[in-house]
Amino acid sequence: MKQLSAVALLFVIFLGSLFVYVAEDIPAFGDPNSAPNRYVKLFEIDAAGLEGDLEQGVLPASLVDNLEDEIEERGFPLPSGVARVSGKGEGEGEGEGEGEGEGEEAEGAWEAVIVPAETEQHFYPKEQKYYFIEKKGEKLWVYRYAPVKRYMEEGPNETNVPNMVTYILADYRGYDTLGETTVIFTAGVAVMLLLRRREKRPREK
Amino acid sequence: MNKRESSKGEESSKREAKGGDVIIEVVTRLMVPFIQLFALYVIIHGAGGPGGGFQGGVIFGSSFILYAIAFGIVKAGNRFSESANTVFFSTGVYIYAGVGLLCVILSYGAAQFLNYGFIPLTHHFEENRALGMDLVEIGIGITVMAVITSIFFNLAWKRENEGGKKAGEGGGEGRRQAEGGEGRERREGRERREGRERREGRERREEVGG
Amino acid sequence: MMEWLVEEVFAKYNYWISIVLMLIGFYAMIAKENLVKKIIGLNIFQTAIFLFYISLGDIVGGTEPIVVEGFEGIYVNPLPHVLILTAIVVGVATTAVALSLVILMYEKYGTIEEPEIIEKEREGEA
Repeated sequence: MKQLSAVALLFVIFLGSLFVYVAEDIPAFGDPNSAPNRYVKLFEIDAAGLEGDLEQGVLPASLVDNLEDEIEERGFPLPSGVARVSGKGEGEGEGEGEGEGEGEEAEGAWEAVIVPAETEQHFYPKEQKYYFIEKKGEKLWVYRYAPVKRYMEEGPNETNVPNMVTYILADYRGYDTLGETTVIFTAGVAVMLLLRRREKRPREK
Repeated sequence: MNKRESSKGEESSKREAKGGDVIIEVVTRLMVPFIQLFALYVIIHGAGGPGGGFQGGVIFGSSFILYAIAFGIVKAGNRFSESANTVFFSTGVYIYAGVGLLCVILSYGAAQFLNYGFIPLTHHFEENRALGMDLVEIGIGITVMAVITSIFFNLAWKRENEGGKKAGEGGGEGRRQAEGGEGRERREGRERREGRERREGRERREEVGG
Repeated sequence: MMEWLVEEVFAKYNYWISIVLMLIGFYAMIAKENLVKKIIGLNIFQTAIFLFYISLGDIVGGTEPIVVEGFEGIYVNPLPHVLILTAIVVGVATTAVALSLVILMYEKYGTIEEPEIIEKEREGEA
């Protein structure tokens, strides 16, 4: 075998083994609760008596200490309001909800919203869903929503466009598309500079 | 017999080198406007269904490529001027950035670049966004169409070897002429004809001699 | 053992397919000596990455992300589609410039096999 093929094969085997090593973090195909689709887990804390405050839509005092510390040390924005979400609908796939709550005490799931502290802007909404707090057994699990959730829920109302891909591409991420157009413009200019038709073109008689 | 077959081969190969088969020409001339109409549909209906600026621009460019494949690169190159194409390169980017700047101006300097809600085409903030998106997609479509066409024509055009530099075996093929390959065919035909004449002349001389 | 197989291998078959394609493209970029084959390897590599990234956004039982009035189902995640649209255009731009460079090299050296080009460069210096 030639030397180049042997070196290439070594690289390929090394990369392949790296990919196999990483494979446990990849979510399953078609998972509706995976990180890019729904939420990603941040941390979990003890749920000792914090539900009462959460039910009333206020962040409880002790939760404030714990939650604020943990959220701040990870560098996320602080939640300021809590909105209650119907427990069964969201947390169905977990398995714990079916066991305990039979209608009396539904497993609670709360959505924490953040409110931007700046002045009124036309485009950014007054509040935005950011965290998802769920009670599992004795602990409260805190998740963070994926960015797509906002595009999918509020998109058809803020822009009257049915196609989700188009309004994300041209409206929410319009600046990236401007850069994209510049990229393809640069490619055209580069090919033209390299291979210009410099000679006079012959006219067919 | 040999002469007739080889001369027919010469003619048909000469005709194909220029790219002029009658059926393909007629069908292409019919199809190109419909392809362009479909491309415009895909660009404008990008908001209501699958599609958008990039997809429609590529379909538009592919109609020019179809014309070049069917008619020969020389004829197509004479028809689509390069300077007009270069103007379209930047027109699309101007439209996109222009819409963004217009939004900054129309929002009274509140620094809302590319926030289409401020263009006063209708009375609703949301409807303005949809119309601004359509404008922007048209700009993208123009640029992509011009770039795809230009890349194809630049890559497929037969280049004159500048300086006549030949390197090894590639030199014989490297000597291309700016016409559509006709020179090579004619040269080979001429060589074949000369060889045949030389052979026949030798036979006649042998008959006369012997 | 069976559980591990089902959970790790069969549930993530999009990942394994795209890894195989990625490694094929990577091998072609390094080991082949024809310049055009290297460009083809680059394209295969890019396509494998696009496949993997879009397949991360799929949801079981979801339909295309176009909002229709009165539909009570799940839409597929549209964000990977958007990002890959940009990436495809970047791939086209890269391939176009690479092919034009190959044309220029053919005109200069008369060949597009890498060992012969290196030979000609060495002869040119010597």
